[in-house]
Parts: sequence; structure tokens; C-alpha cells
Amino acid sequence: MTTLDPYVADAEWHSYIIWYFFLGGIAAGSYAMFALANLFGDEEDRRGLRAAEYLALPLISICGLLLIIDLNRPERFWHMLIQSRTFWPMFKWWSPMSVGSWGLSLFGGFAAWSFLGVLVEDGRISLGRWNELIIRIRKGHIGRALAIGGSLAAFFVGSYTGVLLAATNQPTWSETPWLGSLFLASAASTGIASILLVSVHALKDVPHAVLDRLERLDRWAIGLELLLLGTYFGSLGSPTLEAVSHWPGVLVPAFVVPFGLIAPVFIQRLRWKGRVSLASAMVLLGGFALRYAIVGMPEPFLHGSR
Amino acid sequence: MATAVGFFTDTSICIGCKACEVACHQWNALPARDGGQVPLSGLSYDNTVSLSDVDWRHVRFVEQFSEDRSQGRWLMMSDVCKHCVNAPCLEVCPTGSIVRTEFDTVYIQEPVCNGCRDCITACPFGVIHVSARKHVAQKCTFCYDRLQNNMTPACAQACPTKSIKFGPIEQLRMEARDRVQHLHSLGAKDAYLYGEDDKILGGLNAFYLLMDPPATYGLPTAEQAKLPSRKVWPSSFRSIAASLVIAAGAFLTFGRRKKAVAEAESAS
Repeated sequence: MTTLDPYVADAEWHSYIIWYFFLGGIAAGSYAMFALANLFGDEEDRRGLRAAEYLALPLISICGLLLIIDLNRPERFWHMLIQSRTFWPMFKWWSPMSVGSWGLSLFGGFAAWSFLGVLVEDGRISLGRWNELIIRIRKGHIGRALAIGGSLAAFFVGSYTGVLLAATNQPTWSETPWLGSLFLASAASTGIASILLVSVHALKDVPHAVLDRLERLDRWAIGLELLLLGTYFGSLGSPTLEAVSHWPGVLVPAFVVPFGLIAPVFIQRLRWKGRVSLASAMVLLGGFALRYAIVGMPEPFLHGSR
Repeated sequence: MATAVGFFTDTSICIGCKACEVACHQWNALPARDGGQVPLSGLSYDNTVSLSDVDWRHVRFVEQFSEDRSQGRWLMMSDVCKHCVNAPCLEVCPTGSIVRTEFDTVYIQEPVCNGCRDCITACPFGVIHVSARKHVAQKCTFCYDRLQNNMTPACAQACPTKSIKFGPIEQLRMEARDRVQHLHSLGAKDAYLYGEDDKILGGLNAFYLLMDPPATYGLPTAEQAKLPSRKVWPSSFRSIAASLVIAAGAFLTFGRRKKAVAEAESAS
């Protein structure tokens, strides 16, 4: 066993955190894509990516619950945001978990606004005379300004979890500065995959041209993810071989890369009706496996030292 | 501010009696691990094995014997929270539960901690653990209650050989340097100080005189013990760069087409 830093204790960030990283990545990635389509695209793109608006709030709400449940004292979750003695805001810009708590809250605000807006615009709820105003705001300059803010918040939520892991003394997490960008690329690919799945199976009115554009963007994100994955393990140095030869690190070469990233790109190019669903499902499985592998990767090094 | 205090643990005179462990348990009302049903570890005379939520002092036993056991020596060290000058746990704690006291020690405020465990990932010494009883992070308090009443911490008070010395940190450092020089003059050239200067996390307020490399005692080197914040900006800049690449992809996907559609519409 190559010795990285065998003296730290295991924080036991397990299933809840892995699910949070995965679902939070989808929420952030899909919302960022919607916001960027709102900024750069036309009305067809904005409406075509509205699946993200349906996904972001429920997913980020589940994420909040997962984070609270994971605390050993869940009833004190608010100590992340408010100082328990003075009731002043609790904020440490140099602590990723502190900044992340505020970032999540901010992103939740954007997601809530979008969720309300899309429900109104799709006619699923009615707020009476407010309906027209909400739709006008969504399509106007304020909507674009909110898209800029929302995309920034989404990019933050998609990446800070990797920065959080790097800002520790745990082996394989803290050795390199590439986890934040890797998680962001994965958030983008899984976010797009989720939009495609919801668009095809739930909304069903999204034009094929939009789906094609999304698939193209997905390949862009997958390409970036592959590049960053290689960079991450390259920068890890000699422990890479041991990291990927133990469970769960072995998932990266055995599943994430071949089945979660490369295979979906080829499946997308098939002339088969179910290709979008299959490719998207594989990207999602790959995204979950990536987080499972990365979060569990320090364990063999810790246990080997005891 | 009160005088900054510390521990100087001289491992060359530790006899492994574990009085420090017992005194710590007694004063802080720490229960026995696993209800006292602790199996023998097989690690020399060490059945505490490591620092834990209920073991804030741990006497490590290192047996160094030749294969035929004709030659050998014992190394013993009473391990504890290092109360780092630049404490990683304090740095990352998102609730402000971990604070620096007026004695320059690092203290966990139990009523504030919500058990997020970020401090555990940050501590390079593996000191902090979550209490199975209280469900909050736990570690040596440096007997903060005793310090506030001008008393010596329980472990140092109980140590029969004065291997654990307590006092003003600057005074301890001077004593430690003198002690190393004395040992060197006696021929113990291996003796050196660990954490006495600012090379490890700005200095350790609980520092050691060791007789073997740090790894022998389960201690990280200065290169291994680093501040978590060192990675925040490099990681953030790379994340921003990745965001820009993704945004560029979105622009090429959505923006170019929008421009083409607009041009086609104006032409028609």
C-alpha cells in the first residue's frame, strides 16, 4: 500500500453524502444548462429545456434533507447558517462547507422561482392575475438576469462539493485541485442526461431539434469529463494504480469510463428510438458510480494504515 | 488574553503507565469504550489502540526488537490533540463550534457542534471523533475548565515521570531545546523535537521530544499535515475554468443556431 497520509480518521461520509453529491449534481447541472439556453438560445431552447425547471427544486430539496439527516445532530442544521448564540449569520469564506451552505440556499431560491414559473407557464397551476406578470418576467430582461444569477449559483453547487473534498487532509481527495472541476463536468453530463430523460418520457412535446442539440452538448460535457478524469488521476501520481485497483476506486476504469462515458457517446449515434433513454440512463449510472468511487477512495488507504 | 499554554511530551522518559489516560477519563467523565468490553488488541500493551471519542489521551507502545529478540527497545508516547497554531479543524468548522481559547488552545463547543464531521476530514492527526453518546465531535479540551481555575490539566498532573509537561508555551519550548541538547550530550543523538517550531501547521501547542521518525509514532510529517484551505483557491479557479468551457459549449450549441435563425429570418 502506497502511503499517502495514513494518519487521518475516516469521516464516514457515506450513502447520504454520495446521494447528495449525485442528486445535487443533477439539479445544478440541469439548471445550469437551462439557464445557459435561456441566455444564449431562443424561445424554442428555453421551452425545450424546461425539464430542468421541474427537476431542480425537488432534487435540491431532497439534497437538503439528505444533508440534514446525515448530521449527527440534525436538529442543529441551522447552525450552518446562523450563529446559535448571537443569531448573526454564520459565514466563513475559507470553509467550503460554510460557503456551500449559503450557495445551496441561494440556488434553492433560483430553483424555487423557476419551479413556480414553469408550473404557471405550463398551466399546471394558476395564480390568477399574477400569471401574466410571472410569464412576462420569465421572458424579459429580468428573466435573463435571473438566468445569469441562476447559472452562477448552479455552477457553484455543481463544483463546490469537489472543492470541499479537496479542502481536507484525506488521501486521494486532498492530493490534487481537480475534483471541483471534475464534479462540475459530471454535473453537466448527468444534468443534460436527466433533461433528456424527462423530456422524452414525461414532457413529450420537446422538439427533436432541441433533443439533438442537447445530445451534442452532452457529448461536449462528456468529453470535458473524460479529460478532467484523466487529469485528476494523472495529478494523483503514483497512488493512482492502487486507488483504482481497490474497491470502490476500481469502478472508475471498470464502469464509469467505458459504460458511463464512452458507450453513451456511441449509443447516441445509433439510429434507434430508445437510444436517448439508454444513453442517458448510462450517463446517470456512470455519474453515480463516479461519486461512489471518489467518496470511498480514501478508505483503503486509511484502513491499510491501521 | 491569558498566557498561551501547551504540553511538552518528552517520550524519552515515558514509562507507559497510562496514568494520563486514566486521569483524562476520570476528570472528563469519559466512559470506557464499548462499555469496557474491549478485546485485547495484540498491539503490545496498547489496548486503547488510538485516540477516539472517549479516549482523548492514548499511550502508544512501539516495540523495536531484532528477530531473535536479543536486542531491542521500547518507545512509548502519550498522544493527544496537538492544539495546532493553525488548526485545520478550526479552519473548516462551518458552525463556529471549534474555537481558539484565551489560552491559545483549540476547543470544541459541544452545544454548537452539529456533527457534520468536516473537522474529522481536516485533522491530519486523526484526533477528532464523533461521540456515540453525545453525537458531536469530541477531542481533548486541554482541560479548559481546569485552566480557567488555574489548575494543571489532569494528564500532566497525573504523569509520574513528568513526561507530560504543562506550562507557558514559550517556556516549554526553551525547556525542550535544553532537554534535546542534554540528551545529545549523553549520546542519544536521535532525540529531536516534533512540532516545537512553526513548520507543522504554524506550530503545535502540544509538541513532542521523539527518538525515532514521526511515522514510528503514527505522526505525519510537515509535508503531510497541511491546512485544508490550501486547496480552496486552486480548486476554485479550475472549477471556474471548467464552468467557462461548459458555457462555451452551450454558446456554440444554442447561440450559434440562434444567430443563424435570426439571419435566415432577416434574409427572408
